[in-house]
Amino acid sequence: MPLPLSYSLRNVRARPTRSAMTAGVIALVVIACTLFLGLISSLKRTLVTSGDPRNLVVMRKGSDNDGASQISLAAYQAIRYFDGIARDEHDRPLVSPELVVQPFFRTRAGGRENVLVRGVEPVALQVHDTVRIVAGRMFAPSAHEVVVGRGVAGRYAGAELGNTVEFGRGQWRVVGVFDAGGSSFESEVWVDARELGNDAKRVYPYSGIRLRTASAADRQRLEDRIDNDPKYALDAQPETEYYARQSESANSLYVLVVGIAILAGVGAGFGASNTMYAAVQARTAEIGTLRALGFSRGAILAAFQIEALALAGLGFGLGAAASYGLSALLAAAVGGIAFGASTFTTNVVALRVGAADLIGALVLAVVIGVCGGVGPAWRAAHLRPIEALRKA
Amino acid sequence: MKYAGLVLANLGRNKLRTVLTGGAIMLAVVLVCLLLTMPAGLDALLDALASNTRISVHNKAGIVYPMPHAFTRKVRQLDGVAAAVSTTWFGGAYEEAGRVTFPNFAVEVEHIRAVYPDYPIAPEQLADFERYRDAALVGRQTMQKYRWRIGERITLRSTVWPVDLDFRIVGEIADEHAPYLWFNREYLDQALRATGRPGLGITGMIWARASDPNRVNAIMREIDDMSRNSEAETACETEKSFFSNFFGSLQGLVTIILIVTGLVTLCIVFIAANTASMAVRERSGELAVLKAIGFGRRVIFGMLLAETAVLSVVAGVTGVLVAVGLTRALRVFAGWSPALGPLGNFLVTPTVIVDGLFVSLVVGMLAGVVPSAGAARKSVVQALHEVF
Repeated sequence: MPLPLSYSLRNVRARPTRSAMTAGVIALVVIACTLFLGLISSLKRTLVTSGDPRNLVVMRKGSDNDGASQISLAAYQAIRYFDGIARDEHDRPLVSPELVVQPFFRTRAGGRENVLVRGVEPVALQVHDTVRIVAGRMFAPSAHEVVVGRGVAGRYAGAELGNTVEFGRGQWRVVGVFDAGGSSFESEVWVDARELGNDAKRVYPYSGIRLRTASAADRQRLEDRIDNDPKYALDAQPETEYYARQSESANSLYVLVVGIAILAGVGAGFGASNTMYAAVQARTAEIGTLRALGFSRGAILAAFQIEALALAGLGFGLGAAASYGLSALLAAAVGGIAFGASTFTTNVVALRVGAADLIGALVLAVVIGVCGGVGPAWRAAHLRPIEALRKA
Repeated sequence: MKYAGLVLANLGRNKLRTVLTGGAIMLAVVLVCLLLTMPAGLDALLDALASNTRISVHNKAGIVYPMPHAFTRKVRQLDGVAAAVSTTWFGGAYEEAGRVTFPNFAVEVEHIRAVYPDYPIAPEQLADFERYRDAALVGRQTMQKYRWRIGERITLRSTVWPVDLDFRIVGEIADEHAPYLWFNREYLDQALRATGRPGLGITGMIWARASDPNRVNAIMREIDDMSRNSEAETACETEKSFFSNFFGSLQGLVTIILIVTGLVTLCIVFIAANTASMAVRERSGELAVLKAIGFGRRVIFGMLLAETAVLSVVAGVTGVLVAVGLTRALRVFAGWSPALGPLGNFLVTPTVIVDGLFVSLVVGMLAGVVPSAGAARKSVVQALHEVF
């Protein structure tokens, strides 16, 4: 017959200070893990959601990002009329030629960062249909106007609606702010491609092309056709793949966080073990009595294991709640967290602790509970009833 | 001191608990040290740069905006400039196409010696670097990461220029935290011309060294004045200012790291306090007897505190040692990563070690104060009551 669940739970409550401290350690480990996990997953999410599976990125062969690529006007004009490209209601192909440069922007705090400035043509808003102007309007060509992403707005000197921002060789009026569903486009500034080309004195008018394919089959065909075209030496890849590759730089951080989680988890497991061993020791007579009453070893093992898990659960609950609060506090205090991407541009990432991060921390807490509880529970279950009772 | 035996015996009384507590504190100290090594790498880098007189000359608009290569000569001729070298980002990918795993630059080889006299490069290697067209100097960090040897040949595929270049590694920059690779600018220029392009007329950045530290600011002004109203206006900075700006975007990550370090430190308090309170509670009878036979409060308090302190110091020292070993492994494994920059150096500085020890000793002792004081304060009669 198993021991009632309340037996284990009441025992957690019987020594409030000790339970609170153990749960506190687990809670702190949970907070540390969720913060780090949240940071990385926010970074990954930002990059991964930037790609649209229907879109292709066309760059010069060998380039790893569109900031380092260049494409001739002839190549753009040829690709524009390839078959399999989606068209808008006026039957114009959805091909967006883009020029990317990374000039310095002054931050509010007085530092400076490389910000990705994307020179585009009006068709860009159709190819990147997650991008929506949420305040102001789209820039007018040749008027030295820009629209800025949400992550950029407010972060840099002058980067707000109606103000002027300084980059490259001139000053640009901010006429709009856009939202891009939390993707990395929100860390960009968009401007007329031709004006940006003049400002940056680029030999080639564009650095890359983004295009919308008509169907999945067309996507594959177009990819092959562009990859194998000997004339322009270009490389096409799905936009999702392009951003997934960029997010790989976050993987080295993952390794780090997993390492930290393991170290912290083992430490917290030791702490939990300690508490449980003390509980077993203090209740030796009680355990002897239970055994004498006929409760099996399995029942006692389970009861102590449940107690350990309850401690871990308590710790997780406290930690999860605290990390939610802390991440909100951090977001309010420092705004977005900037990451230097592998492409030498700044990605402003909004720190958000998501369900997946909490699940990761829950797994850690459960593992701490199970591993921390198994030794003491085993000892409790294997106490010899006579000896245990003698202590009473 | 005469109670040392008793303190140690008490620690040995419940060996399992002592080991578990010590292990938990040790792991926490390892974590604190590991986390602190990350910002330490950045600080050390910036501190090392504080004293030198190198000036970064780059386009005012940003480092991806080029400058005419000819401008290097103008900078070099300025009064007070001891030497200047132009460096251009090659963005070469090794092994896997399209992934730059370490920074690599085309430089004017003959000026490296004069601009970087403080860099640990063997003179004969430097001579080879100047002699061979396809020679490359590689930082030790990258040498170790790829297990390259001097004399080895490697190919880098540029992500920026439409060329692949073969290099012969002729020497290393003997600094464990140097990730970059330098090679001859003319080699790239010739390769570009071979493809029918106009060649390398630009430079990404010019590094100039001032001969007199007091003239640095004046020279920076002079250079900026010289480029005013030209195609490429420049913005000069000291090397320290340049790198602290360059790595400024890491500040958010550093904040998170410091918060987590604080959390882990708090863990140590909880673990140590928990153990101390358990030890005190179980021994309340014994402590009452000690008091009854005349041991003073201070002695009892001191003994209990010493127990916690000894445990946390031993754990702390072990933790620091483990952290030092781990960082070594991490450095080799992680190498240069754009997401971490110098944070990935995992530099163990004396400050990091002191912090680790401080955390374990002071924090561990603080955690022992409350339970120990409680036990010491309890009256003999009350304590004996609880026992009998």
